[in-house]
Amino acid sequence: MTLGLACGLLLTLAAIYYIFSLPGKLYLGPEKTRASYLRERKDAVYENMRDLNFEYRAGKVPDADYQSLKASLQDEAAALLAEIARLEETAARKAKP
Amino acid sequence: MSDIGSYSLLLALALSVYAFVAGFISLLFQNPVAALAGGRERAASDPSFSGLLRQNSERIGETARRAGIMVFAAVFVAAAALVIAAFSNDFSIAYIFHHSNRDLPAAYKFATLWSGQEGSLVFWALLLSGYGFVLRLRYKTDPRLFAYAGVVLAAVQVFFLALINFAANPFGLLQGPMRPDGTGLNPLLQYPEMVIHPPMLYLGYVGFTVPFAFALGALIMKYPGEKWIHITRRWTMVTWGFLTIGIFLGAHWAYSVLGWGGYWGWDPVENASLMPWLVGTAFLHSVMMQEKRGMLKVWNMWLVFAAFWLAILGTFLTRSGIISSVHAFAQSSIGDWFAYFLAITFAVFVYFFLKNKNHLHSEHKLESLMSRESSFLFNNLLFVLLCFTVLWGTWFPKISELVQGNKVTVGAPFYNRVAIPVALLLLILTAIGPLLAWRKTSFESLKRNFLWPTIGAVAVMVFLMITPAAWGSPFGLRPWLDISYFYSLMAIGLSVLVALTVASEFYRGGRVISEKTGQGMFASMVQLTHRNTRRYGGYIVHFGVVVVIIGLAGAAFNQDKEKEMAYGDKMEIGPYTLVCRSYTDEEFPNYAAEWAVLDVYKNGRQIDTLTPERRFYKASQQTSTMPFIRSTLNEDLYVVYEGLNQDTGHPILKAHLNPLVMWIWLGVWIIIGGTALALVPNAPAPMRMPSARTVESRANAAPVPTAGD
Repeated sequence: MTLGLACGLLLTLAAIYYIFSLPGKLYLGPEKTRASYLRERKDAVYENMRDLNFEYRAGKVPDADYQSLKASLQDEAAALLAEIARLEETAARKAKP
Repeated sequence: MSDIGSYSLLLALALSVYAFVAGFISLLFQNPVAALAGGRERAASDPSFSGLLRQNSERIGETARRAGIMVFAAVFVAAAALVIAAFSNDFSIAYIFHHSNRDLPAAYKFATLWSGQEGSLVFWALLLSGYGFVLRLRYKTDPRLFAYAGVVLAAVQVFFLALINFAANPFGLLQGPMRPDGTGLNPLLQYPEMVIHPPMLYLGYVGFTVPFAFALGALIMKYPGEKWIHITRRWTMVTWGFLTIGIFLGAHWAYSVLGWGGYWGWDPVENASLMPWLVGTAFLHSVMMQEKRGMLKVWNMWLVFAAFWLAILGTFLTRSGIISSVHAFAQSSIGDWFAYFLAITFAVFVYFFLKNKNHLHSEHKLESLMSRESSFLFNNLLFVLLCFTVLWGTWFPKISELVQGNKVTVGAPFYNRVAIPVALLLLILTAIGPLLAWRKTSFESLKRNFLWPTIGAVAVMVFLMITPAAWGSPFGLRPWLDISYFYSLMAIGLSVLVALTVASEFYRGGRVISEKTGQGMFASMVQLTHRNTRRYGGYIVHFGVVVVIIGLAGAAFNQDKEKEMAYGDKMEIGPYTLVCRSYTDEEFPNYAAEWAVLDVYKNGRQIDTLTPERRFYKASQQTSTMPFIRSTLNEDLYVVYEGLNQDTGHPILKAHLNPLVMWIWLGVWIIIGGTALALVPNAPAPMRMPSARTVESRANAAPVPTAGD
């Protein structure tokens, strides 16, 4: 009983100390913006392009299919890049005094 | 031990309540403008007030995260106390008295932790807090998303810990006088697999809480982008891997211990583990559509929820005793708790889904039926159909009892009627899917990629049909003689088709790298796999699945024979002749055993000696069979000692000849290897992206969209 009580008390004190002894500054991570979301999307489209290129080289995709799929992926990537550029431009304008 | 254990469980509950409440408050005030009704104007107009609120909420959130970590420590202490109580034969604790005894081997004493109702719930809570521990340590990946997931996880922890503390406490004391020995562990559980099967299965069940926590968190916070699904997919893969191992270990245990010669009986408890597995498998495929194309967002959200919900439903089935099962080892009244929890989680999920469903709009539409997307879509529909069939079959006895007043039993024929054709269709999709391109595929492309694997598969099927049956199973397969032979031939043929398409994928990819680097083909294929572990690990999983399917197809040729055998008596089954050399019995500390010694002859030559036995466990006063299984790649010779004929004193033996069973266990190893490989991070691809420049130039020429930030 005494041993059990001592162990329980020790565990509780350790838990309270660990939970509430916070450092002065916390790591909060970057704020997620629409631009960061678009960059993730751009990475996914680039990865799709890499996959398509690889499959074309491996002979899985005929030339006609490859050209049309590549063009549509490029259009998608272009639209994303354009919007990212616009958002960065707006952010830079806001940052200026 | 009882005091320490009980106290630790209470502490764990208090900490999880704190993690939930503090986490919830922190998230509520992270966006103070939205959260404060009264102070809305002040928060909006006074940046320092808003910043202060935010800073404080973040500090509260950090304490919630740390409390979540400490839940693991507290539950770990409770679980350790229970294990120590088992090893120290502390029969003052009722749970230890009912699930252990002094002569129980050490490994099974350790397994006492999950052998009964209360202990297995502690084990559930331990694994859940273990997953929570890892999740909360990895919060830097995306602090806000992880904070939401942490709160959802804490809510689930509150439920399980409240259940343990108030309805199923494993540290309850035994009433009455102190007993010298316990009643022992259920004999069916005294088998090596039982030491690892439940942990694996539970890791699978419990693990689905994590993807659910991320999904619900992302839904509540309207997470921008697809990173959450990327994180969720990796957690699901880990969980799915554990569940796969757990299910097949369970199948192997049933095969090795239950003595009926089979490994899957469509029992409700087996079905309970299969349902989340099926939905999880569907999700692992459809998630690619969301990651690659921004499609199926609503569907994926529901799949993640369904996998979690079905895992809890499975636990409800096993624990409530609402549906009778051959291996429901623990039954009680805690079913009500699970029923309420299932209802609450469903209501919470539906509420947030309806509230935020506009956030889940698809970014693209299906462009062609001949595309990778459509193959995933059909694959998902088939998995969900199969899951619904299993769910219906599992619950139908209960539903019929409620509606008609009499229980209608649903057996293997019901499940097989749906499961076999669906599995064959899934095999076709598994073969075609990797050969289809995203968006659309021309007929010419399909023909080019599919021709040789199809020729190979048809050649194998014709070969199996024209070979003589005397070569053994599965040769001489005549599909017109029996529908099971037809299914078996199709399963093997389609498995060969999948295996050839997988091989062609490795070969084509390897050839590209080989041409570029000058390396040998094998080194190129290794490099290829390392560059895209997810895809090629997935192909290896597909290969493992077809090996399993070939093993399952062997069931069409099963044979069995039963005979009472005196000294020197013979029994013939397939190419084997069994001769009874002797039979005897012996005493061990934990059990008494009687067994027969059988010599096995093939083509007139002795090849082995088998010793099937039957055990009587003294503490629990129960019997159990220990079949002797002689496994080869061709077939298993499975012999069961059924007992002595009391009139003649001779043993009754039953022999089963089960072709290709070993392929199932081999296939599982391949699946495990493929899953582990898919979790390894990719090596960086040295190949340049040729079209990047074109994209930049197109971007410069593209009209500037007017979408708002």
